[in-house]
Amino acid sequence: MRPVSDETPPPDQDRTPDSGRTPGGSGPPSDRKRALPPERPRPEAGPEPRPEPRPEPEPQSESQGGTGDGGGALTGRQRLAKAVWPPRVTRAQLIVALLLFVLGLGLAIQVRSTSENSALRGARHEDLVRILDELDDRTKRLEDEKRELDKHRTELDNSSDQAEEARKQTAEKEAQLGVLAGTVAAEGPGIRLTINDPKGATDSDTLLDAVQELRAAGAEAIQINGVRVVASTYFSDSGGGVSVDGHGVSQPYRFEVIGKPADLEPALNIPGGVVQTLKNKQAKASISRSEKITVDALRQAKRPDYARSSSQ
Amino acid sequence: MIAVLGLVVGVVAGLVVRPVVPTVVEPYLPIAVVAALDAVFGGLRAMLDGIFDDKVFVVSFLSNVVVAALIVFLGDKLGVGAQLSTGVVVVLGIRIFSNAAAIRRHIFRA
Repeated sequence: MRPVSDETPPPDQDRTPDSGRTPGGSGPPSDRKRALPPERPRPEAGPEPRPEPRPEPEPQSESQGGTGDGGGALTGRQRLAKAVWPPRVTRAQLIVALLLFVLGLGLAIQVRSTSENSALRGARHEDLVRILDELDDRTKRLEDEKRELDKHRTELDNSSDQAEEARKQTAEKEAQLGVLAGTVAAEGPGIRLTINDPKGATDSDTLLDAVQELRAAGAEAIQINGVRVVASTYFSDSGGGVSVDGHGVSQPYRFEVIGKPADLEPALNIPGGVVQTLKNKQAKASISRSEKITVDALRQAKRPDYARSSSQ
Repeated sequence: MIAVLGLVVGVVAGLVVRPVVPTVVEPYLPIAVVAALDAVFGGLRAMLDGIFDDKVFVVSFLSNVVVAALIVFLGDKLGVGAQLSTGVVVVLGIRIFSNAAAIRRHIFRA
């Protein structure tokens, strides 16, 4: 009784054929067969698995005997309750249980794997490749940065040493150049040349010859009567004497020369050389070797006005 | 009843045993699960309609799973795997919804 009263109100809009059929269920078999088709089209439109079953369920429900006859009038709710509660071990139940077991297994595996490492496990190939590329880029950037920082650190570590070294080299170079430019005093082995020229026959040419001879023999530092001879030194005749770089010098002319004595002395004494020329002019030149000659005449370093170093 | 028990046992087994899925099958598992869900909902609806048949259920369950996996496989080969699996999920989702609507009408009469 209940099912009928239950069923009647809602079908008004939805299931007119059903409701019309159920009350008039006096002739069940024929009515049911006619009534079922209108119910079918819905499964066909929606879910796919059911179009075929149509022929089959008929025998099935009939094969279930008593239940099948009553089943025609059963609501879906009752069918469900009947299927669930008295647990029957039938072939259908077992097969469905097996499939549902597989479904549950897959569901659990998938849920678990998705929640475990969600980011990468479900990702597709392209995404993985992209992620890998990004990681590679990042690694490269970080490595570059690391190399840069390492270099920086090494530089900082070495900077004090380097500064010290550079200072040392600079000082060394300054000393070498200072000797050449005449800004620092020098000492070492060499010779002293003294020219006594009471008659004043010695002129600037003679002194220049002497200096050139000495340089050709490897003289490294020369001073004449307290005037340092450097690259820009010039000699000129002035009045009764000679001026060196504008400083008047008078006899006796004393040369302090640093160099290898064994080379310097013969260079002055060669035939037709400085000593012989002076002798012809009746001047007297005397040469003495010494292990320690001090050239201490200094000269200000002059900054060139036009020439600039081209090495920078 | 036994069917429901099967589902529960399957979930528990999956959570407890933690089986390792072969890498080859891995991309197809989610789609296969959704397809199987669709088949299960279809079966439930058929049962409520009184037209349930175990043979049909088995065939539809397996074919659903296989076809879904096949579509994804084909999509991967063609380079449209992501779009195609989205399409499959959408279609299956629609069907699950319509089946669920029918089931709801049966159970709640509304």
